[in-house]
Amino acid sequence: MAGKVVVTGMGILSSLGLDLDTNWSNLVAGTSGIGYITLFDASENQTRIAGEVPAAFEDHCKKYIKKRAAGQMTRVTRMCIVAAKDAVTHAGVDFEQMDKTRCSVIMGVVNTGNSSVESDTTPQNTVFKSMSNAMSAWVSLDYQLMGPNYAINTACASSAYALASGYDLIRNNQADLVIVGGADSIINKEEIEGFNALYALSVQNDPPEKASKPFAADRDGFVIGEGAGVIILESEESAIRRGATIYSELAGYGLSSEGYNIMAPMKDGEGMAFTMNKALLSTGISLDEVDYINAHGTSTELNDRYETLAIKQVFGEQAGKIPISSSKSMLGHTIGAAGTIEGIITILSIYHNTITPTINLDHPDPDLDLDYVPQTSRKREVCVALSNSFGFGGHNATLVFRKY
Amino acid sequence: MAQIAENRRKEIQEIVYDFFADECEVDVSEISDQTNIIKDLDGDSLMFLELIEIFKKKYSLEIELKTIGKYAVKHPVETIGQLIDMQMLIIEHENRILELD
Repeated sequence: MAGKVVVTGMGILSSLGLDLDTNWSNLVAGTSGIGYITLFDASENQTRIAGEVPAAFEDHCKKYIKKRAAGQMTRVTRMCIVAAKDAVTHAGVDFEQMDKTRCSVIMGVVNTGNSSVESDTTPQNTVFKSMSNAMSAWVSLDYQLMGPNYAINTACASSAYALASGYDLIRNNQADLVIVGGADSIINKEEIEGFNALYALSVQNDPPEKASKPFAADRDGFVIGEGAGVIILESEESAIRRGATIYSELAGYGLSSEGYNIMAPMKDGEGMAFTMNKALLSTGISLDEVDYINAHGTSTELNDRYETLAIKQVFGEQAGKIPISSSKSMLGHTIGAAGTIEGIITILSIYHNTITPTINLDHPDPDLDLDYVPQTSRKREVCVALSNSFGFGGHNATLVFRKY
Repeated sequence: MAQIAENRRKEIQEIVYDFFADECEVDVSEISDQTNIIKDLDGDSLMFLELIEIFKKKYSLEIELKTIGKYAVKHPVETIGQLIDMQMLIIEHENRILELD
């Protein structure tokens, strides 16, 4: 019987800060990271707001990455490397004391961000900046790790899938430790135009911090965020051997494909419900044990409606008793990074017994009647929590974290 | 003739030292001909290509990259000194460098 898979370290960069503690305190305080776009001139775009990583990042990352390597990375890849190094430090891992052939890296990557905002792309570095395995490769190179090392792309569920894959490597005895994460930014002119053309983005530009309003009656689309989240998954045996702090257990997951539509989720959230059920079945956790759901909660009309219906399908009468919140109300949608960033928030909710809020829920949608933890965070014992991620193309993931 | 070669080597050495000092963020005083490019400087193979481009422009060399590649396979470069020596040969012999074997 394989042992447990546990979380021993985390690193995060987002619009709410460049480190784990700053992010967590801002999330608990219900702070919005959304502002006007500064990365390029967005004055002609329909959407002119996003959750940008603070400008101080550029100096911050020089402490982590040498100039030579930095020149071969995009800004997004650099975010990933910083978050990964922070996670390794947080976990207190000394790889010289580990079997490096049993240490892996898996990154959820939609794209590396080699877009028009990258001003220093040249023929010499364009391949390195564009290759979708760059993030996992650089992390592996930094620590000379020799276990499996790869990238996964399942759109907005990418890094949630990466966590599931990392879980499998450990459970199947292929690795002792897996650095799992994701980083993303689609804050560039062309992608914002593309998502605007799909009517997927909020165009409520003023004031920016009020635009992302999951589950609200006046929601009008998601707000783009950017950042990176990295989690150290480890076998319980390895973590105990190292004397590591264990922040939670990754108890299991559910993955599924809807096979339905390239953009829209299955009607009434059937695919989402199937995924959550699959996740709970994989763990043997009963419905009444679930204390919190970190929702995908994008602030789009369909996602929030269907996710609510899906939770009702799965939990029945229990649904109204479970606190549900959307971190995207504060961070925006970090796309490929969302799975691990929201995974980290879920883990910290368990560790600190504190549920972060859904901000901007000033006008609740009368059709959406669950407990979305509006406006302010809530102290409550959290032993079991789900984290949902649903991607364009019908890629669904639900992760189940349990108090250790 | 020997003096010309020595002067050229010094010129190449200065370019190479400055290049590695800048790219690898080390003080130029820490670099010598014995410095190992990978182990001591955390350098990479791409640096070699970038230097070739610099020297091709500086000395108007006609040599093809694949010719240098064929030569380098038989004469691997590990240290700064070896790199400078190979660069001297490239400048002197260009595409005829393969005939040296």
